[in-house]
Amino acid sequence: MPVLRRNLTAYGFLCAALLCFAVFAWYPMAREFILSFQSTNLIDPPTWVGLDNFSYAVSDPAFADAWLATLQFTFLALACGYVVPFVVAVVLNELRHARAYLRFVVYLPVMLPPIVAVLLFRWFFDPGPGLFNQVLGFFQLPGLAWLDSPTTALISLVIVSTWMNMGSATLIYLAALQNIPSELYEAAELDGAGIWKRIRHVTIPQTRLILLLMLMLQIVATMQVFIEPYMLTGGGPENSTVTVAYLLFQYAFTYQNYGSAGALGMMLMIVLLAFAAFQLRLTREDKT
Amino acid sequence: MISVGARAGTRRGRARRRRGRPIESQFRTIISPLQLNSRWGRRIYWAVLVTIVVSFTLIFLFPLYWMITGAMKTGEEIAQMPPTLFPAEPTLDSYVEAWDLFDLGTLLWNTAYYSFGGWLFCMAVDVSAAYALSRLRPMFGGVILGAMLATLMIPAMVVLIPLYVTVVDLGLLNNPWGLWFPAAANGFNIFLLKRFFDSIPRELIEAAQIDGAGPLRVLWSVVLPISRPILGVVSIFTIVTSFKDFVWPLLVMTDSDKMTLSVGLSQTAGMVSQNAIMGGLVVASVPTIIVFFIFQRHIMAGLTAGSIKG
Amino acid sequence: MKRATGLLVVTALGLSACGSGEPATPTAGAAEQVTITVACQPAKSAPKERQAWDDDVATFMKAHPGVTVKSTDQQPCFDPKTFGPKLAGGQMETVFVVPVTNYDDVIGKSQALDISAYTSEIKNWNDLRTDVRELVTKDGKTYGVPNVHYGVGLVYNRKLFTDAGLDPNTPPTTWAEVREAAKKIAGLGSGHVGYGEYSGGNTGGWHFTQAIYGRGGNILTPDNKQAAFNSPEGKAVLQTLHDMRWTDDSMGNKLLVGWESLMMAMGSGKVGMMLGAPDVVTDVVNKFKGNVADYGITGFPEAKASLSGGEAFMVNPKATPAEAKAGLQWIDFRFNTVGKGRFDFARGKTIGNPVGVPDNDVYGDSATGKALQADRKTNATLPVENYEPYVQAAATIPPKAEPPHAQELYAILDVAMSGVLSRKDADLDKLLADAETKANAVLAAKG
Repeated sequence: MPVLRRNLTAYGFLCAALLCFAVFAWYPMAREFILSFQSTNLIDPPTWVGLDNFSYAVSDPAFADAWLATLQFTFLALACGYVVPFVVAVVLNELRHARAYLRFVVYLPVMLPPIVAVLLFRWFFDPGPGLFNQVLGFFQLPGLAWLDSPTTALISLVIVSTWMNMGSATLIYLAALQNIPSELYEAAELDGAGIWKRIRHVTIPQTRLILLLMLMLQIVATMQVFIEPYMLTGGGPENSTVTVAYLLFQYAFTYQNYGSAGALGMMLMIVLLAFAAFQLRLTREDKT
Repeated sequence: MISVGARAGTRRGRARRRRGRPIESQFRTIISPLQLNSRWGRRIYWAVLVTIVVSFTLIFLFPLYWMITGAMKTGEEIAQMPPTLFPAEPTLDSYVEAWDLFDLGTLLWNTAYYSFGGWLFCMAVDVSAAYALSRLRPMFGGVILGAMLATLMIPAMVVLIPLYVTVVDLGLLNNPWGLWFPAAANGFNIFLLKRFFDSIPRELIEAAQIDGAGPLRVLWSVVLPISRPILGVVSIFTIVTSFKDFVWPLLVMTDSDKMTLSVGLSQTAGMVSQNAIMGGLVVASVPTIIVFFIFQRHIMAGLTAGSIKG
Repeated sequence: MKRATGLLVVTALGLSACGSGEPATPTAGAAEQVTITVACQPAKSAPKERQAWDDDVATFMKAHPGVTVKSTDQQPCFDPKTFGPKLAGGQMETVFVVPVTNYDDVIGKSQALDISAYTSEIKNWNDLRTDVRELVTKDGKTYGVPNVHYGVGLVYNRKLFTDAGLDPNTPPTTWAEVREAAKKIAGLGSGHVGYGEYSGGNTGGWHFTQAIYGRGGNILTPDNKQAAFNSPEGKAVLQTLHDMRWTDDSMGNKLLVGWESLMMAMGSGKVGMMLGAPDVVTDVVNKFKGNVADYGITGFPEAKASLSGGEAFMVNPKATPAEAKAGLQWIDFRFNTVGKGRFDFARGKTIGNPVGVPDNDVYGDSATGKALQADRKTNATLPVENYEPYVQAAATIPPKAEPPHAQELYAILDVAMSGVLSRKDADLDKLLADAETKANAVLAAKG
C-alpha cells in the first residue's frame, strides 16, 4: 500500500514533465523518423513516399556543398573554438592579476543574443566602411572581401562564431585547470620537468576528460551552425557557406518540402550520433 | 572567492608597482612561484599580462564600444572612411529612431513576458519532476530519467522540423505555450536539480516527515530552501537561454506584434539604416548584460556545474 | 476626458444612425457573422497610408454588415521566411498575398483555395488581363485574384546621371550604353555604384532570369524538362556583369544578398541603375527613404521579352465559403474598384503618396485599365514623364512567365551570379555548365 501510494504521489509530481517530454521531445523524435518517409504540406493528410525524400536530398546539387561547408566549418571552428580557449585558459590560469576582469570580458559576448553579435559583425565585415577593412587600411594592408568572397566567407563565419562562443569553453577549462592538485606540478618540477613537459604530463592528462567532453559538445554544436549563414551570407557566395542546418531550413521553409528536411535531419543525426559513439569509446578506453 | 582575491591582488600590485614586492600566488600552477619571481620570469609575466589585458579589451570590449558609439553617429559619419573613433556630435537620435522602427517597446515586452513566463512554467515542471525522481523514487524512475537525458543527445536542429510540425498540429503557433512547453522539456535542468536533491541529507527530510509533512510540504519547506544555489543557476540559465533564442521563436512567433526581440531585429534589420540597427542592437544587449553584471558569480558557477566529472 | 466621452457619443450616434439608415440587406445572411483576416495593412511607420487603409476597412464593414475585417501588418506582407511557416501553421490570413514567383508552389501544394465559384465577386474580373489571369489558373480552376502585374525595366537614378554628366532624359538603351553609364557613375567616387545587382538569397537567380529573358534566352526548354540557360544569352548576361564588376569596377565591392539589400542601396541614392519594375520606385520611395524625383525608369535594354512580375491575392484553403466570399468582396472593394481603395488616387495625392508611377498593368488596356490610367494621370504627383520611356517600351515587349520550380532554380543560379560577382577569375562557362547539371538534376528529381 505505501509503495502504491508513493508511486502515485511520485507520478503526480512527474505528470507535467512526462507530458511535456512526451509531446515535445519524445514524440518529435519519432515523428522525425516518420516524417522522413512522408510527403506532407501540413494541410492534407501525409502520404508515404518510401525513400524519395532521401533520394531527393542526395540528388540535390547543394547536398555535397552543404556537407563540405559544414565539415569545413566544424574543422575551422574547432581549430579556433576548441584549441584557442584551452590555450587562453592555460595562460589565464598563470596570471595573478586582472583575472576577474579577463573572465568577465571573455564571457561577455556569450551573454549577448546571437543576433546582436551576428548583425554587429555584418557591419564589421562590410568591405567599405566596415571596421575590419578600416583597421587593415590603418596598417596599410589591403582590405579583404570577408563575406563576399567564396574563399573568405566561411572563415568570416568562423570568426563571428568563435567570438561569440569561446567564452564559455574558456571558463569551463579554467575551472578544470583550477581543480588540478598543485602537488602534481610540484612533483613534476622535482622530477625536473620543464614547463612544456608539465603541460604535457600534468595539465593535459588531468583535463583529458573535460577536453574530450568539450570536443564532443562542440562538434555537435558547430555541425548545427545555422544563424550565421542564415543572417550573413544566405549560403553564398557560390554555396560556400550552405551548411546542412541551413539547407534543412531552406527545404522546410523556402520549398515547404518538410519530408526532405526530415530526411536531411536524419542524416545529420546519424553523423552526430556516430561522433558521439566514437567519443564514448575514447572516454571508456580512458577509464580502463 | 577567487575573484575577490584577485581584485585585492591587483590593488596591491598597483599601489607598489613593479619591482620590490613579489608576485603572489594563491595556488600552484604550471609555473612555480620561484620561476615567476625570477628576474626574467617577472618581466615576461608583466609583458604577457599587459598584452593579454590589452588584446582582450580590444577583441571583446572594443566591438561593443563600436556598436554603442556607432549608434551615436549620424548616417554620414557612420559611413565615413576612415571612421571616427569618437562620434563628432554624439546624438541619441538613432536610439529613438530604432525604438520606433523596430517597435522595440513591444519586442522587449514580448521577450520579457516569454522569458519569465517560460521560467515559471519550466521551474514548476522541472523541479517537481526532479523531486519525484530523486526523493520519491517511483517505479521506472531510472528509465524515465534515462529517456529524459536521451533527449539531450538529439541535436536541436534535427528535431526542429518535427517539433515544429507537432506545434503546428496543436495550433500553438503565435501562442506563448508554443515556446513554453518545449522549453520545459529540458533534460539538463532535471538532471542538475535531481543531482542536487540527491545530495540533501536524508535526516533533514525524515525529520520533516516525522513532523507529519507530506511530500509537497517537504518539497516546499525543506528541499527548496536548501536548493537555492542550484535553483538560482537553473533559473538564470533558463531565462537567459530563452532571451537569446532565435530559431525557435522565428518559427513559432511570426506575428509582427508577437515577435521576440531577436526575431524582430532580424526581420527589420534589412530595411533600416546602419546607425539605427546599432541602436536596436544596443537596446537588445542591455538586458542580458545587466543580468550578467548582477549574477556574474552564479553564471560562472553554473557553467561548470553540469560539465565537470561528466 | 470630457472631450473623449463626447467623441465617443458622437461616434456611437453616427454609427447607430448609419445602421438604421441603411436598408437591411434582404437575404444574404445579414445575421451571418463572418470574420476575415486580411494581409498587407501598411506599417505603423506609414501613418497616413495606414489611416487610409483603416478608413477603407471601416467603409467596407459598413457596406457589408456581418463581415468583420481584421488586418495584419507584417512587413513586407510577403516574407519568404515566414510565408511557409504561417501557411503550414494555419496562421495565414483569410486573404493573403503571393508573389508571382511562388504561384506554382502555393497552388501546386494545395495551399490556396479554388475560388472559381467566387470570381464574380470581382466586378471587373473580365477586364483583368487574360495572360495574367492565366498565371493563377491551373487545370481550369482559379486560385487567385491578380493584384499587381508589371514587366521588368531599368530603374535609374536621374540625379546621379546628371552628376555624372549623363543626360537623364536619354537613358541607356543598349548594354554597351549601360556599361558606359555605370562606369561614369562609379567614377563619382565615395561609394557610388554604377549598376547594382543581386547575388544571393534566391534574388540573384531571379535577376539572372530577368536578364536572360530580356536578351531573348530561356531558363528551361519549352517542355520544362531541361535547363536552357547555358546558352550564348546566358553567357552574355554573366559576361556583362563580370566586365562591369572586374574590368570597369562599376558595381561596388559588396555582394547583395536578399531583396532589401539592393533596395536599401538604391534608396540611399548611391546606386545608378538596376533591373527592376516600376514597383521598385514605389518601394524605394515609400520604404527606403528614396527621393521620388530622383528615380526614373526606362525599358529593358535591347529587350526581346520581359519577365512578368507581380502578385496575386489568394484565399486560405481552410476558409469557409462565407469567409471566402467576404474575402473576395474585400479584394474587390479595396483593390479592384476604380476610384476606391488603392485606386483612390485623389486621396493618395492628398496624403502624399507617389502617384503616377505606372507600377501596375494588371488591367492592361481594358476599359477599366484605361479609366485607371486616366485617373492616375489627373492626380499624378510625380513627374510622369520620368516613366514614359518605360511605358512605351513595355507596350511592345512580350511578357514571359517564370519557370516552374522557380525557387529551386533561383537557388542554383545564385551560385553562378555570386561566382561572377565574387571571383575575378570566375570561369563563366564552367559556372553555367555546373548550374545546368544541377538544374537538370533537380528537374529530374521533381519529375
